[in-house]
Amino acid sequence: MSLRRAQHARVLLAGVLTFAVVTAGCSLAPTTPSGAQGPAGAQNAAQGEVLIGVMGPLTGDNAEYGKIWRRGFDLALEEINAAGGVQGRPLNYVFEDTQSDPKQTPAVAQKFVSDPRIVAVIGDFSSPASMAASPIFQRAGLVQLGITNSHPDFTKTGDYIWSNSGSQEDDAPFLATLAVEDLGKKRLAVLHMNTDWGQTSADLFIAKAESLGAEIVLREAYLLTEKDFRPVLTKARDANPDALILISYYNDGALIAQQIDDVGLDVTVVAIGSTYSPQFIALGGEAVEGVYTATRFHPADPRPEAQEFVRKYREKYGVEPDNFAAVAYDGIKILAAVLNEVGVDRKALRDGLEKAENLQTVMYGTTAFGEDRRLRNPRYLRLVVRNGAFEIWEP
Amino acid sequence: MLDQLINGLVVGNLYALTAVGITQIYGVANVINFAHGSIYMVGAFVGWMAVTWFGLPLLPTLGLVLAASALLGLLVERVAIRPYTGSGRTVLLLTTIAAGLILEQAAQLIWGPETKAFHAPIADVRFRVGGGFIGTLDLVILAVGLTTALVLWLFLKRSRLGWAVRATAQDREAALQMGVDVHQVSRISFAMAGALAGVSGLLVGLYYHSVYHTMGFSASLKGFTAALLGGLGNIPGAILGAYLLGTAESLAVAWLGSTWRDLVGIALLLGVLLFRPGGLFAATRALLPEPTVGTFIPIGRPLRIPRWALLAAAAAALVLPLVVRNGYWLQVLATAWIFGLLAISLNLITGTAGQISLGHAGFLALGAYASAILTTRLQLPFLLALVVSPLIAAAIGVVICYPALRLRGQYLAVATIGLGQGIALVALNWTSLTRGALGISNIAPPTLFGVEIASAAGFYWLTLLLLIGGVWVAERLSGSYLGRAFRAVREDEVAARAYGVGLERYKSIAFGLSAFIAAFAGVLLAHSYTYIAPDTFTHALSLQVLTMVVLGGLDSTMGAVVGALALIAIPESARFLAEYRFLVYGLLLLAMLRFRPRGLLSAAS
Repeated sequence: MSLRRAQHARVLLAGVLTFAVVTAGCSLAPTTPSGAQGPAGAQNAAQGEVLIGVMGPLTGDNAEYGKIWRRGFDLALEEINAAGGVQGRPLNYVFEDTQSDPKQTPAVAQKFVSDPRIVAVIGDFSSPASMAASPIFQRAGLVQLGITNSHPDFTKTGDYIWSNSGSQEDDAPFLATLAVEDLGKKRLAVLHMNTDWGQTSADLFIAKAESLGAEIVLREAYLLTEKDFRPVLTKARDANPDALILISYYNDGALIAQQIDDVGLDVTVVAIGSTYSPQFIALGGEAVEGVYTATRFHPADPRPEAQEFVRKYREKYGVEPDNFAAVAYDGIKILAAVLNEVGVDRKALRDGLEKAENLQTVMYGTTAFGEDRRLRNPRYLRLVVRNGAFEIWEP
Repeated sequence: MLDQLINGLVVGNLYALTAVGITQIYGVANVINFAHGSIYMVGAFVGWMAVTWFGLPLLPTLGLVLAASALLGLLVERVAIRPYTGSGRTVLLLTTIAAGLILEQAAQLIWGPETKAFHAPIADVRFRVGGGFIGTLDLVILAVGLTTALVLWLFLKRSRLGWAVRATAQDREAALQMGVDVHQVSRISFAMAGALAGVSGLLVGLYYHSVYHTMGFSASLKGFTAALLGGLGNIPGAILGAYLLGTAESLAVAWLGSTWRDLVGIALLLGVLLFRPGGLFAATRALLPEPTVGTFIPIGRPLRIPRWALLAAAAAALVLPLVVRNGYWLQVLATAWIFGLLAISLNLITGTAGQISLGHAGFLALGAYASAILTTRLQLPFLLALVVSPLIAAAIGVVICYPALRLRGQYLAVATIGLGQGIALVALNWTSLTRGALGISNIAPPTLFGVEIASAAGFYWLTLLLLIGGVWVAERLSGSYLGRAFRAVREDEVAARAYGVGLERYKSIAFGLSAFIAAFAGVLLAHSYTYIAPDTFTHALSLQVLTMVVLGGLDSTMGAVVGALALIAIPESARFLAEYRFLVYGLLLLAMLRFRPRGLLSAAS
């Protein structure tokens, strides 16, 4: 009898637990803004804060990128709101954690779409997660600005899908010029991450390098989870290249660099711009000395807009910004500039992005969107790692 | 060639370190401990703190990591194993998954999500071997691996406590009757396995100069593979298995390419399990007998839900979009219905037929890819793809699962992890068909009879109707001869065979039917996301579906639907918790399994 009762109590408890969580969630459904919000922001909320919806990873495998984004966003918002916000209203953002999981983004997309305070959306981090949400934004007519989405098909979903991410169509060919023309390398071994980004970048790199007269002696894709690169580097060594090209992120790029010596391979390493991060040097240590790369953004970039960004970022966070911080900062700045120009309206924003000239960005300098809804006129800096730091390098 | 063999041994060295701990803990607790990887990660972080924050040299760091991770092992045993004794091993599988998730989330909150640089406080002397080099750390790892293996082996063979451990592994009840304190034994082995996991995390972290909060998962998967190759519970076997795995992978990279690495590992595992189910170094070719069935899967009596209540629920769900106009909640529910369909399909295998599958995302991928390829490449209409894709998925599902069906219990469970990942890896490597890592984009939204179903409400209805269809079919199956045959296989394989129920045939039918239903979910997913790629179908997704089924109540179709609804809605409604969301999810899972080990919609039998 008492056992029975105990079981009933358990059933009840479990039921109550579930119910409590679900209802707690429902009642809180209209999300409270989570961004940098001073007391001024809170007061003004009633008078109509302008909101940007952000979907990205705050937990899970890619959580570190979500954290860096936030820093870029917060810095941009501070400046925008100090200068009067957009059309006199404070700007803020709502960050929804999706873990960059495509199962979660469509729901978040619906949430943003049905929240009238939201005028634009930034995110997500990975292509599957971002593109699972795109059709919903396109149908509802809400701008989705992908800040890290270099997948060639990302902006093709429709005219509400935009990106200020580096396009592979510019990055990879520039790297090829750096390796073949500036460094004079003729026998290249290419290692690339086996993702949509890695595959496309490698194709574009190889096409350009071959047109410049270089020979590709090895092309190898590696899995995202790969840690042990000795076998593939041994293979590269036996192909006898004069340069090793890495289409990698900084974590795996640093790992590869560390294992190059272990297999007795002695070549110049040229790595794509995604490796440009303080983390690359922290993780790689001495192994990444002498690695060449090209990027659109470097703290030593003499352009005043870049210098300004670096100074403020360093002041606020005590570390150097990287690419992810810069694209996040640019993303908010672009949206704010256009909103200020055309007014707070979803449709007007889309038209405004198309018409906007002279967008001020850290990554591209003064620029505008092209036909493909990506930014035009990328500019590059050549870099090399010397004495534990990225230095600007001129051929 | 020689160089590649050396490369294989170097990485095999790292796998061996993890495999020894896993094989030992399995032998004792008969549990595949999914928290092992998380302890490994915490060990690496403790070492990283000791070295970079406090500047400790290597030996004291090693001692500190040993102590900390042994304590953590004890804690996991206390929180995730002991309270669930007698709940059956599926529940233990899930509690260790939950414990691992909690540790991983806590680590992220404490140490932050970014990868930490971890440079060794040891002099790196390098030796030339063939064309490459071997460093001090390679030798340290080799020495630690061999020493721990030797010490463990002596402990188990020679000490009284070691005998007690082995006695408990062989027969827990008998050991208890002979006066062995089985709880004490369980504590000791979790502490030892924890210490081993922590030390291997530390050494591997040092080896790759990096430490991060998700480092445990793939490391423990390699450890499991190596341990299974050698035969679970067999320590020298685990070490040899690790070297074998490392070498096979290196040669795969050399001859086939780097992306084939994991696929070759999986193929090796399945191949070995097929011919020697007990592992390469098992004494007999036969499987060790699993403990009496019924302790493996705790089946409750399904709560009888009156027909009118089901009809009322279905009717309420159908009219919901007319009342709720909030697109967000309709989308959440539509996702829940898709996963409900998936959970129903898994329930057929796991609930009704009693076979654990940890690779169900693979079946989802089969359906999604089939439909995506049919509609984008061949321009077939959605309706036709919806009918044809499940047939394709069922056919492929049966063919690839057939070899694994000779395996039983935990062995089958691990083989299905391999199968699930294998399907995603094939999608990644078969570029000409699937576009590889680029994935398939621009999949058209569902169109029925010329009407495009694009609105949240339209999609909600489509998914709900298919779910209702799925429930109806599953319920009919459950009450039919087939359902009873599945249950006979679940309850007692020997008795079932004696009654003329062919095991492999009925397991194949269960997997085929399951793949068929799961493929419907896959089709819906593909046309809802409009973009799929191999990394849409992750191992984490497979685990989530299994959690849904167990949480809802095994062998209960409606339970599977309720489980899916709960596990989709809870993380969604817990969004306000932000970074703490999945920490709370893990805790909630532990609590639910504690109080409702037989699931929400099931009564104790």
